[in-house]
Amino acid sequence: MRFDVANGLRVLVCLWAAALLAFLLAGCGADGSSSAGTVVPVSEADFQINAPTNLRAGEYTLRVSNHGPTEHELIVVRSSSGRLPMRGDGLTVSEEALDSQEAGSLEPGRPGAVRDLRVHLTPGRYVLFCNMEGHYMAGMHSELVVSA
Amino acid sequence: MRLHLGTRRPFGSAASNRGTIIAIFVTIGLISIVSIWLSVKVTSGSEHRATTIEVASRQRTLAERYVKEVLLVREGRQADPAYTASVMAASAAALLEGGAAPPVNGDDDGTTLKPAEGSALRNEFAQEARLVGDMTATGEAVLANRPTSGLPQSANEHIGNLDPVQRLRVLAALASNVSLVAARSLTRSDEASIHDLITVQVLLGVGGLLMMIVLASMLLATTRRQSAHFRSLALSSRDLVVVLDQSGCRYVSRSVAAMVGRAEDDLFGNHLAEFIHEQDRPLLASVAATGKPAEFNFRMRNGAGEWRDLEARATDLRADRNLRGVVLHARDTTDRVQLERQLTAQLDRDGFASHLSEALEMADEEDEVLDVIQRATVEISQVTPMELLLSDSSRANLSRAASNPSAEPPGCPVKSPFSCVAVRRGTAVVFDSSEALNACPQLRDRASGPCSAVCVPVSFMGRALGVLHTTGPDGEPLSGEPVNQLTVLAGQAGARIGTVRAFEKTQLQASTDGLTGLVNRRTAEKELRELLKARHLFAVVIADLDKFKQLNDTHGHEAGDRALRLFAQTAKQTLRDNDLIARWGGEEFVIVLPELDRFQAVNVLDRVRHDLAVAHPGETARFTASFGIADSGQADTVEELLNIADGGLYAAKQAGRDRAVVGDESAVKKDTPADSAPETSPPEEEPIVMARKARPPIHEAADEEEPRPSGVQIR
Repeated sequence: MRFDVANGLRVLVCLWAAALLAFLLAGCGADGSSSAGTVVPVSEADFQINAPTNLRAGEYTLRVSNHGPTEHELIVVRSSSGRLPMRGDGLTVSEEALDSQEAGSLEPGRPGAVRDLRVHLTPGRYVLFCNMEGHYMAGMHSELVVSA
Repeated sequence: MRLHLGTRRPFGSAASNRGTIIAIFVTIGLISIVSIWLSVKVTSGSEHRATTIEVASRQRTLAERYVKEVLLVREGRQADPAYTASVMAASAAALLEGGAAPPVNGDDDGTTLKPAEGSALRNEFAQEARLVGDMTATGEAVLANRPTSGLPQSANEHIGNLDPVQRLRVLAALASNVSLVAARSLTRSDEASIHDLITVQVLLGVGGLLMMIVLASMLLATTRRQSAHFRSLALSSRDLVVVLDQSGCRYVSRSVAAMVGRAEDDLFGNHLAEFIHEQDRPLLASVAATGKPAEFNFRMRNGAGEWRDLEARATDLRADRNLRGVVLHARDTTDRVQLERQLTAQLDRDGFASHLSEALEMADEEDEVLDVIQRATVEISQVTPMELLLSDSSRANLSRAASNPSAEPPGCPVKSPFSCVAVRRGTAVVFDSSEALNACPQLRDRASGPCSAVCVPVSFMGRALGVLHTTGPDGEPLSGEPVNQLTVLAGQAGARIGTVRAFEKTQLQASTDGLTGLVNRRTAEKELRELLKARHLFAVVIADLDKFKQLNDTHGHEAGDRALRLFAQTAKQTLRDNDLIARWGGEEFVIVLPELDRFQAVNVLDRVRHDLAVAHPGETARFTASFGIADSGQADTVEELLNIADGGLYAAKQAGRDRAVVGDESAVKKDTPADSAPETSPPEEEPIVMARKARPPIHEAADEEEPRPSGVQIR
């Protein structure tokens, strides 16, 4: 029984082609998020947040656009008082203390980026803020009142 | 690149192969160049970015340090916030617009930066520079105890309501944060470009690999087609191909394996030598070592155990990198060699046969023929005892006529042709041993001991003339080519001896007397000599017509001639076949009667006289004849014999004619004193003629009734 070189090569070529295809498909992975709820524009910039201050309760998609020039994150928390507890350094909000009240958050995004954040808003007061070092203190927070 | 899909041109595809190989190398080269170029580009950019990242990261430390130093100085401690502020400001400027970033005391060296590229990065560094400016202004205001609320907020920070120290800390945090973010984005872009590099490299690698696989498979296909083509060629050839090197056999063609009945793998190394004839192994070793001789023969055992003759041609390819050995192309020539041997033997035989036939052709007489035969026996074998036994003219006796002079004659005791087995059978006979039950009786009890024998009959026109007899060692009879030559010799010798004898007989008949049809005197003399030499008993008679002169004179010469013819005719009819009658001259005749003595001859002659008396047809006058008789017992020479017979004739004439008288040898030996005339005895060279002259011519002495001793009657 002799090894057929040409057949072996053919099998090898097929394997390589399959691997290449898989690689390319993985490269352009599909983003499965479908928008739901009302789209609400939220714009961030150094160092302010422009967002609606009154909304009805429900599902919302916050379309967050960062106008720079630096990176920003967005955290949405319920806050009955409107004042947020600070960490010991006096420069950042204590997210740990607000953990149970958080409605949603986005990690820091590059200037120019537009990202969606889906939130379920129930009636009450919310604060939208950026908790990068000093950003909250420099004015990046906005109050939102959700009515029933 | 060309694809040979239609026609197969195994000898023309080298160019196509070269094209494929070049394409493979070009692909590898291009991919390597692109890959290296990309890597260099990405990593050199990356090196530059590393210093930028380092300086950007340093800003955070410096901002924190600045806040601490401001607070320390406010408490009255030793610190230099102004220096830290200047380093930060210079670093921020360098990060944005390029230039020297100053060293930090006791920390690191200064470094030169390129201007920031890309609007996002430039915006970040510009923002940082603004924040550093705001921070430094706030720090100075704190140290100077000035209010901070009115200070500019150039980076759009909303910090007017904060107390000075808090404001300073927030600004330091913002400045260091933006600096870190810029450094992180730089790192991220590095990662991105490295990711891109990896992607491109992978794509290049995969693409190149695929392309090379395609090319290589094409190359393989072509090569495979070629090798298949040559393999088919090699397989279809019955030539045996072997590659030898110092370690033995390195390759054998399938034909070799098929011949010796082993798998090809089982013949490598020293295993092939097992099939090569022991005597030929050194030769093949020498060929393997030196490539010489270029052409030679050797023997190899095939699967059936037979030795085959191989004719081989060696090609020295030890210098060829692809072979590094000596290539043998061999061919089985066994059948051809055998045929050649047969042909050579045939040619030898033919050569012997043609030489023999030439020699025999030149031999006119039997003695010469026998001499040729004797020489031929030497040519057949120098050591084999060989003899030719021939029958005499009576075909009753066999005697040795020739023998191999270089060996003792075998000495076959056979006496008669009919006692010889070979002669009786008419074919060659071989006796392995004289001691065997079925051996020829003539072989037994030879003086030389037990022997083998080959006997070939010699014959002419189906009549046996004799036998060629050879002996050999007991159990080892002559065989092979010598026997073939012996057969040739027997055939040709028989033909020649027969021809010579027939010729002599013809000559005998040709030399006859025109008038009577009888043989002449010379023939009679020869026959007499031979008989005497052979020591056979015979009688000789001299006959003379009575009163022949008178007949001639009275009735004329024609009547005389008729009388002579009548006598010859009558005598011939009366005599036996092997009796001889010759006209001696004039009215004299000589009659030779083999196997009869002189007294028996008298009876024969009386019958002749009687037949003559009753046979006298018409015109011929009646006449008689007188006879003188002698026999071989009376004398040793023909001359004496004739003299004795002549004496008898003389006596018959004297006694009254028409009678036969036996000659008296004593009278002749006494020099014929009584009969011969004293005046007639002159010594002469020819004894026979002299003897005849020694007495008076019979016809004169008798016919004329008055003998004239000195007269010579010549007709």
